Amino acid sequence: MLRTRSIVLVLVVMAAVLIAGMVPALAQDRVKLTVWGRDLPDDDPAHQYIKALVEGFQAANPDIELEYVALGDPGLTDKVKVVMASNSGLPDIFQSWGGSVMGGYADAGRLLDLTEELADIECSEAAKAAMSWKGRTYGVAPFFAVAGIFLNEAIFEKYGLSVPTTIEELEEVADTLLANGVQPFACGARDGWPVLALYMYLTDRYGGINAFAEAQARQRRFDSEPFVQAALKYQEWVKKGYFGPTPLSEAYGDAQQLMATGQAAMHVTGSWMCAQYGDPTFTDQPLGFYPFPEMPGGLGKITDIMGQTDIGFAATHVAVDKKDAVVRFMKYAMSVEACSAELGRICSVPGVQAQNRLTQMASEVFGSAEAIQFWWDQDLPPTITAPLNETIQSFFLPTTDVKMALTAYEELVADEVGPVR
Amino acid sequence: MRNIDLIAEESAIRHFGGRRGRLTVSELLIMVVLIILALAVVLPLLLPWFFVFKTRLEFSYNPWSLPKQISWTNFREAWIAIQIGQGLLNTLKVCVGAVLCTVPSAAMAGYIFAKYRSRWTEVAFYVVLMGYFVPVHMVLIPLYQLNTKFGLVDSMAGVFLPMTAFGIPFWTIIYRSFFRSLPDDLAEAAKIDGAGHFDVFLRVMFPLAKPATVLAVLLVFIGAWSDYLLSLIMINNQRLFTMQLRIAQFMNAYGVDHMPRYAAAAVIAAAPTLILYIVGHRWILRGTLAGALKG
Amino acid sequence: MKSSVDAAPMTLAATHDGRRKKRLDYRRLLFQIVFLLPAVGFLVVFMFYPIEETFRTSMMQTSALSPPTFIGFENYQRLFASAEFRKGLANVLAWAFWSVVIQIPLAFFIAFSLVAYSNRLTSKLRVIYYMASIMPSAIVAMLGRFIFAPRFGVISTIAQRFGWAWLQNVDFLGDPNKVFWSLFAIATWAYIGFGIVYLMANIEQIPMEIREAAELDGANRLQYALYVVLPMVSYPIRILAIISTVGSLKLFDVPYLMTGGGPVYYSTTLAIILYKQGFVNWRYGRAAAVGVIIFLLSLAFSIAQFSMQRKGGELD
Repeated sequence: MLRTRSIVLVLVVMAAVLIAGMVPALAQDRVKLTVWGRDLPDDDPAHQYIKALVEGFQAANPDIELEYVALGDPGLTDKVKVVMASNSGLPDIFQSWGGSVMGGYADAGRLLDLTEELADIECSEAAKAAMSWKGRTYGVAPFFAVAGIFLNEAIFEKYGLSVPTTIEELEEVADTLLANGVQPFACGARDGWPVLALYMYLTDRYGGINAFAEAQARQRRFDSEPFVQAALKYQEWVKKGYFGPTPLSEAYGDAQQLMATGQAAMHVTGSWMCAQYGDPTFTDQPLGFYPFPEMPGGLGKITDIMGQTDIGFAATHVAVDKKDAVVRFMKYAMSVEACSAELGRICSVPGVQAQNRLTQMASEVFGSAEAIQFWWDQDLPPTITAPLNETIQSFFLPTTDVKMALTAYEELVADEVGPVR
Repeated sequence: MRNIDLIAEESAIRHFGGRRGRLTVSELLIMVVLIILALAVVLPLLLPWFFVFKTRLEFSYNPWSLPKQISWTNFREAWIAIQIGQGLLNTLKVCVGAVLCTVPSAAMAGYIFAKYRSRWTEVAFYVVLMGYFVPVHMVLIPLYQLNTKFGLVDSMAGVFLPMTAFGIPFWTIIYRSFFRSLPDDLAEAAKIDGAGHFDVFLRVMFPLAKPATVLAVLLVFIGAWSDYLLSLIMINNQRLFTMQLRIAQFMNAYGVDHMPRYAAAAVIAAAPTLILYIVGHRWILRGTLAGALKG
Repeated sequence: MKSSVDAAPMTLAATHDGRRKKRLDYRRLLFQIVFLLPAVGFLVVFMFYPIEETFRTSMMQTSALSPPTFIGFENYQRLFASAEFRKGLANVLAWAFWSVVIQIPLAFFIAFSLVAYSNRLTSKLRVIYYMASIMPSAIVAMLGRFIFAPRFGVISTIAQRFGWAWLQNVDFLGDPNKVFWSLFAIATWAYIGFGIVYLMANIEQIPMEIREAAELDGANRLQYALYVVLPMVSYPIRILAIISTVGSLKLFDVPYLMTGGGPVYYSTTLAIILYKQGFVNWRYGRAAAVGVIIFLLSLAFSIAQFSMQRKGGELD
């Protein structure tokens, strides 16, 4: 019967597909390094470092087979979380921002301790600290980002404004811009995390670099004075329209568009934007990068700088038998040769020249730093980082009582980490 | 307007009571509403075409203007980066696997639940139904661990087998409702002619449920084609990446700060399913009509 | 395969033989078991094992990396005490309600009209209504943002062009009072296709004779729709109601990709909370508890629906 035969055929095909699908990838002879990263190693100006790293490393190390897998965002973080939790299918090396998330993996024993092997790599202290946890080093951070203000110099010139050095000056600038129909700040509040950069600086300028450190160490409440003052200032600016009429709808990409077209004049964010903001195919506006101004009477200084890993790599415990290959990769990632390909990030390695003016300006801000504080959402435990960003995001709603919001956050922290001692 | 008149006239002739003559006000109104709704569905799908030919600056300043020139650069770059060839084969394996595992299993189960109702099949129905209540993120980590245990990580089966488990409950519900609407007479007749349970299903009932089968095959295929999350988690090896993963790799690398290229990738991602749907749609039509005649 | 088909007449020969009735029942049962085996097998292996794991995890405190500690129902208590969770719950319940009240009648209207007014125009239109439903979620969300984005979005661009100041700066995705409806509109656009196709297939199964009989009785098309077709597709409509309800409880893609559940948590859903707790906040036990709540709510709604049907009396 025809129909019976077709059923048999279907079953045979089904079995064939099952078997074909189950054959696992064949093992290779050469030492194979699997690296999970975020960006594609292609010709895009923003991807030049990763391209130089992947291609250069492979060319220089023919005895190692490098498999680089670009997973994008949030593909990379989600996938790393699953394989770490399952402790199977781990890559040898993965792109990591270091900090508390990497620390969580280290605590669970999933990472490879490279403290001795990487000790002789020359790099900035901040970058080294970012890839260390409890005194052990698990990877390298060839690029380190600092937060500051990107500002549109043409707009400033047009309205006769100068780069603000105090918060009062900043407010005067913003009021002038607003009066002329230019949005003072781009933010990208829809995405949550972009709201943090400005808040970190406001808090620091009120309460000094120790305010957050003490709160983190549970010696101070998150609803204590500097946090509340910063929040009140933040919300005041929102209400005055410094962030435009619809900030909560705008994602980080929208904020970039506002800057690229001169619709907004300033953007407080990380120096990783130097590549984009210095790229003439992305924006025809002349942008500069400056440190966040000081608050007269406040405890913070203009040389207190917020920073975090921009590009970093950490190794996992599955690579324990090919430590040599891993270390070669890490060292190549930190080489002047590979790092020189990058156009817009601050390199942690001495001897690498900034490739454009904007990156140069960011490097100078980084160089001027007397104190570096890690981006709070990289430094706090994962259980309380997203709630922090959401708390700050809520300042954008005029109905939010910022003091109450901070108290609620403090209660959460007390619950997760412990109460103030 | 004349066009619509013509069509409506034809409709009045062919349908409902052979009433001849011009279309009534209510008919005209419904046609207009249907057209407006159809436009509401289809117009948003055309939006990316405003962006795909533009440079980034052109997009930033004039997102909705007509492009200054038709440049295929964005498409070319997206196309090269996605390397569709290998991804296509992997995607096809997943799709075929998902269809072959989901549709027969769901049809068989739906048939039992519709035509062999008893206390215990009702219980079994709820057991199957429960699978529909599970949000995928809830079981992602246990599923990955399970796949590790079975050695299914980095295999296409590791993607389509869990996908089947997610698809079966839904399609069992649909098949159950289809089989229920089929009259029992035909089955009885076949039984009197000496057909067994299996024969009745295969020769009488399953062919009658063709509309459901066509729908299931097409939609399971399209669903598997569009899958991102399961493939992302279950596949580690770049060579085994499905097309959708490759597109996501590309789209995530550019994001909205490179909207023209992002939109081009979106068009590339949507095109195969759209073509498949338009071709497959004829079968749905034919399938449902055939069902109506026999019923 | 072939032999089983050939053997079938022998089995059936037993039908009329009273003494062998018992053996027949056994075959009937065997047939049922064999037919249910693939579906149940898949579910047991790939679904119930992970679910069982999740139920256990929901009583634990764990980041998925650390060894779990048993904490009883604390995860559940914490969830119900949090404003974010209550908002997520309220959102998905409202979503379920409105999708049954708005999407299903709309789907029925379109499906019925396409069948009842079958002509060259409607046969072209048929193809269109499902088109949005085949788009991957990432594209749906991207298009949704094109439409609702402030400034550059389609709506505010049109408002600017025509000088409609009231519409120009409406914050569709950032205003807590509007974001639900903006997302709901996009989701209706993206998800209604299945309801239309499914109802259309069911309506087309209604035999021509019934339609002719209704016509002879002098029913107009509205009466035919409401008094003949609607009751005949009441079962598929209930199925759709279950699918929409459970789908709403599990809702993730469109809100997550368009707003991330924001502003703050005003457009969050249970599945977004699940994802954030599990994958962002590293509270895997809490995430599992959210999953269990979604599961139990879905079960409760489905049982209620199916038992309502039974009471309503149906044509079995």
